[in-house]
This record gives sequence, C-alpha cells and structure tokens, in this order.
Amino acid sequence: MRRLGVVLGLAALALACGGGGGGGAGGGATSKSGPTVAMMPKNKGNPYFVSCHKGAQEAADQLGVKLLWDGPTETDPAKQNEVVEAWITRGVDVIAVSVENKEAISTVLRKARAKGIKVVTWDADAEKDARDVFVDQATPQGIASVLLEHTSRLLGGKGSFAIITASLTAANQNEWIKNIREQMAAKYPDLKLVDIRPSDDDRKRAFDETQTLLKVHPEVKVIMAIASPAVPGAAEAVKQSGRPDVKVTGLGLPNASKPYLKDGVLDSVVLWNTMDLGYLTIRVANALARGTLKQGPAGLDADRLGPHAVDGDHVVLGTPFTFTKDNVDGFDF
Amino acid sequence: MLLLALVVVEMAYFAHAGSNFFTAGNAAEVLRASVEIGLLALALTAVILTGGIDLSVGSLLGLAAVLMGAAHRDLGLPIAAAALVAIAVGVGGGALNAALVARLGVPPLIVTLGTYSLFRGVAEGFTGGIRNYTDFPPALLFLGQGRLPGGVPAQVPLLVTAAVFFWLLVHRTPVGRGIRAIGFSPEGARFAGIPVARRLLLVYVLSGAMAGLAAVVYAARLGQAKADAGSGYELFAITAVVLGGTSIFGGRGSVHGTLLGLIAVALLQNGLRLSDQPAELAGILTGVLLLGAIGANRLVAERSRA
Repeated sequence: MRRLGVVLGLAALALACGGGGGGGAGGGATSKSGPTVAMMPKNKGNPYFVSCHKGAQEAADQLGVKLLWDGPTETDPAKQNEVVEAWITRGVDVIAVSVENKEAISTVLRKARAKGIKVVTWDADAEKDARDVFVDQATPQGIASVLLEHTSRLLGGKGSFAIITASLTAANQNEWIKNIREQMAAKYPDLKLVDIRPSDDDRKRAFDETQTLLKVHPEVKVIMAIASPAVPGAAEAVKQSGRPDVKVTGLGLPNASKPYLKDGVLDSVVLWNTMDLGYLTIRVANALARGTLKQGPAGLDADRLGPHAVDGDHVVLGTPFTFTKDNVDGFDF
Repeated sequence: MLLLALVVVEMAYFAHAGSNFFTAGNAAEVLRASVEIGLLALALTAVILTGGIDLSVGSLLGLAAVLMGAAHRDLGLPIAAAALVAIAVGVGGGALNAALVARLGVPPLIVTLGTYSLFRGVAEGFTGGIRNYTDFPPALLFLGQGRLPGGVPAQVPLLVTAAVFFWLLVHRTPVGRGIRAIGFSPEGARFAGIPVARRLLLVYVLSGAMAGLAAVVYAARLGQAKADAGSGYELFAITAVVLGGTSIFGGRGSVHGTLLGLIAVALLQNGLRLSDQPAELAGILTGVLLLGAIGANRLVAERSRA
C-alpha cells in the first residue's frame, strides 16, 4: 500500500511538472487559423539562437503562425533527428532546421517531405534534396571577404593569423574557411593562416585553445574567432596574456563582444542581424505553407525587411555588418 | 511493480496531452530510437549486477562506428564484414576493460573512466575530429531506417534477441547466479567456488560487444559515423538500469526491470516532445524519476529489514 502511495505521489509530481512547464501549450490542433511551424536551432542555449528565436516569434505573432521552438541542449549528434522524428509524428505544416549534421539530418528531413511537410533550412543547410528552401544569412564569399579585410588591415597586409572555429565539423565554418583560403590565394599572398582550432561553441574551450595557440605560435598577431561564443573566449585569453601586439577579430554577437571592443583587445565583429534571420525564416515558412512563395527578385514579401529575392531554392538575408567600438552600443542582442 | 505503474501513468498522460502519441507509428519510432541505448543497458545490467560499472560504452560505440566506416569506405570491405569489424572493436575494447578489472583488480569505475576518455580520444584522433563516414549501402540503412512487415522497425529484432539472451543468462543459468553472487560479495563468491575472474571477463567483454553492435545500429539509423557518435549514451543506459531497480552495489536487479526503465525514459522524452514541451524538461523529469525510484526502493528495503 505504502509502495503504491509512493508511485502515485511520483506520478502526480511528474504530471504537475509536465503541466506547469507547458505554459498553455495544450493538445496539438489548437487553432486552424495559421500554419504550425516547428523551428530548430543547433543549440538552444546559445545567445545567437536565442536572438533568432526573438525575431521568429515576432514574425509568427504578425502572421498568426503557431511557432514550436525546440532543439538540442547537449552535443548529441542524434538529438536533432529525434526532435524532427517527433515533429513528423506530431504533425506540423513546416519544419525549419538550422543543421548541425548535414548527412545525419537529411534522411529524416526527406522523410518529412515525403509525408507532405514543407522543409526549410536556415542558418546552416542540409543536402539539397532534403529541403524546399534554404534561408541563407549571408554568402560565404561575403563573410570571408569582410573577415579578411579586417585581418589584413590589422596585420598591415603581411603576417600570421589563426582561426578559432566552432567544431571542426561545423558545415558553415568550414565553408567560410574554404572561402578564406581561396581569397587569400587570390588577393592576400602575404597573409599566413598557421592554425585552426575548435571551440565546440564553448567560451571556455575557446579561451583554452587561444591560450595554447599564443604559446605555440608566438608569431600569430591576429586571432580570427568565427563562432559567436569563441569571440569573447579568444578576446579574454588575449587580454590575460598581456600581449598588446595581438588583436582579435571575428564573427559574433554584439552584447558578448561589447566589453572587449571597448577594451581594444577586440578590433571588430562581423555578423548579420540574427533577429532578422529568425524573422525572415518564419516569413519564408509561412509563404511556403500558404503557397505564396514566388520566384524572382521580389518573390517574398518580408514586411519590415522589404521584398526579398527568391532564387530557386535560395533566399539570402543580406550583406554582413561590422560592429566596432563606435557603433556597438546601438545594438542589444 | 512501481515502474510498471509509472509507465502506465506516462502513457495515459501523454495519450491525452500529446498529438498522435498513442499510435502504432509512434510506438515504432520510440522503439527505434531506444535500440542503441537498450543494447548498452542490457549488457550494463550484467556488469552492474557484479557490483561493477562500465562508463566506456558510449565512447566505445563512437570508436567502433568510425572504424566500421573506415573499414567499409577506406579498406573497401563489404558492409557485413565492416559490421563485424565494429563488433570486433567492441569485443576488443571490452576485453581491455575486462583484463584491467578482472586480472589486475583495478576498480571498474577507474578503469572505465580511463577507457571512456581513451576510446573517444582514439576515435577523434583517428578521424581528426573532421572525417564523417557516410555513403553506407542501402542494406545497412534499411537496418536503421527501414521497417519489417507489420511496421516493426528493422533493428528491433536485434534488441529483442539481445534481451532474451541476457534474460536467460542472468535469470536462468549458473553463470547468472554467479554474477549476482559476485555482486553480493566477491570474496564469498570465490569461496563458493565461482570463477570470479572469468565471470567478470565475460560481463565486460559482453558489454563491449553490445557497444559494437549498437555502433552498427547507430550508423545505420543516422547514415553517418563520426567520432562524437554515442556521446552521453553511457549515462542514459545507466539511468535505465538503475531506474529498472538494479542496485548500483550489485547483487540485486533484473533484465526485465532494465527494459521497463528503458521504456519509461524513452516514453518520457518522446511524450514531452509530442506535447510541445521543451527538451530540458525531459532532463529534469528523468532526474526526478531516478531519485524518486531510488528513494522509494530504499524505503521499501529498510521497511522489509525492520
């Protein structure tokens, strides 16, 4: 009897938690007014994706879209697949994924398409036949070109730099690195890329890797950190090393970079507007679900972002933007 | 009993709160996603019954997966042979654990904490952290993604076979009785004439073999083998075992309990997703269930002793 009591108590606790955490997200088919869009970041805890979520929610509220937002909180490569599987079973109109593992996720995305669910990739792409549209934050050429401009300016056109990347398998970062190498060969013959180290999207890891880099390669004068948690990590390591001759540039979020930009350790941070990226993704998902996405230079009405070009299965947010100590105070994300 | 009631409560709740939870299709998906953890948990039940632990299974899964990928793509072995390579790697890794635990008498927690880092490290070094083996042939992908007649996911028969094997081993053979006797008291077991070292060798090698088999299923399900495959799986598997009523000190426990524990955790994760709850909640509730179940077990044990 006592045993049964414990069971029921436990079950009640589980239900209470389950019910309480829901915030009114009751059964599946709540409203038929707008499409249900399930959107997945690579990692829910990363502020980059938190700000994407903000923009996505704004667009969803405008359009009457029911937005489901979920994704991995840990680094299990199978996690994204499991969440997508659950969404297929649950039944949604559009699935929008920022892809961590291209090959792994493409199988389930194809399965979703076979069941009539529209698939959008955003931020990082899957295999081409696994999705309907890719919402691209910026072209890799554009990013590589701006990053190299800053690096070359800091080095006076000649010298060594190193890259702190996300993980060594991250598709976006590898694409940028490829473009950086190509443009170096064409335009910057005197720049030398001496090492590429992973940060696993973790600030502490970026800090450790940068410290090691500075010791192993004392000739490195610029650290290019190309993942948003890696920028403050690398900047902190350079700051603590007491080497005023080393500067950091890279790609990251303005808020986390602010103190280091003011310090002068961090020279510049390149990025697109992440809120706009989330906003545009929901605009695309909504148009796809309602069948209003058209081809051509103004194929998508993105409201506050203006008309956007739809080029086949490709929608680009815009050109990258550089944050410096002079303009960073105007941004908060 | 306790756990069965919990599973029933979970089902009832999610059938109400989740969309399409109580469907054959979803049952199939829950089973499909549980096979790798299930294989690890079955073997871990035997390990934990001896009073030991194997933390290296998730890492060994990763190592076996990338070596299988390399055997298939770089050495050009047929996929069946490559799968055997994965299982052989598992057996080899398990044998290393077994030798250190059984022959040298190093505590299993320390041995497998070491090999946990070692196996993952070798897998990362081998692939440079970058290489991702894909392009597996359709026959393998069918094992991970296809369905048998009747809608049963193709990998489920493997789990069922392994479950029957471990149930018979633990509950119906002298070897199983020996394993539990070791958990109660290794010294006592030795004096009772049980070949303690041989039994320990067996459970750790089996654990490694299951990690190798799970690697094959993992690569088949995701269509890729990368050095980070299976990270964190050891903890999910241990959770299933302990939730299933197996005492972490050894001696007490059952294979069917582990299966129930596995289902309880898998249903929780799946059900929360289908009711649009955030994934972190699954972590919180799994923790609450685990602590609750262990607390309840303790209470019951104290009461029966008094």
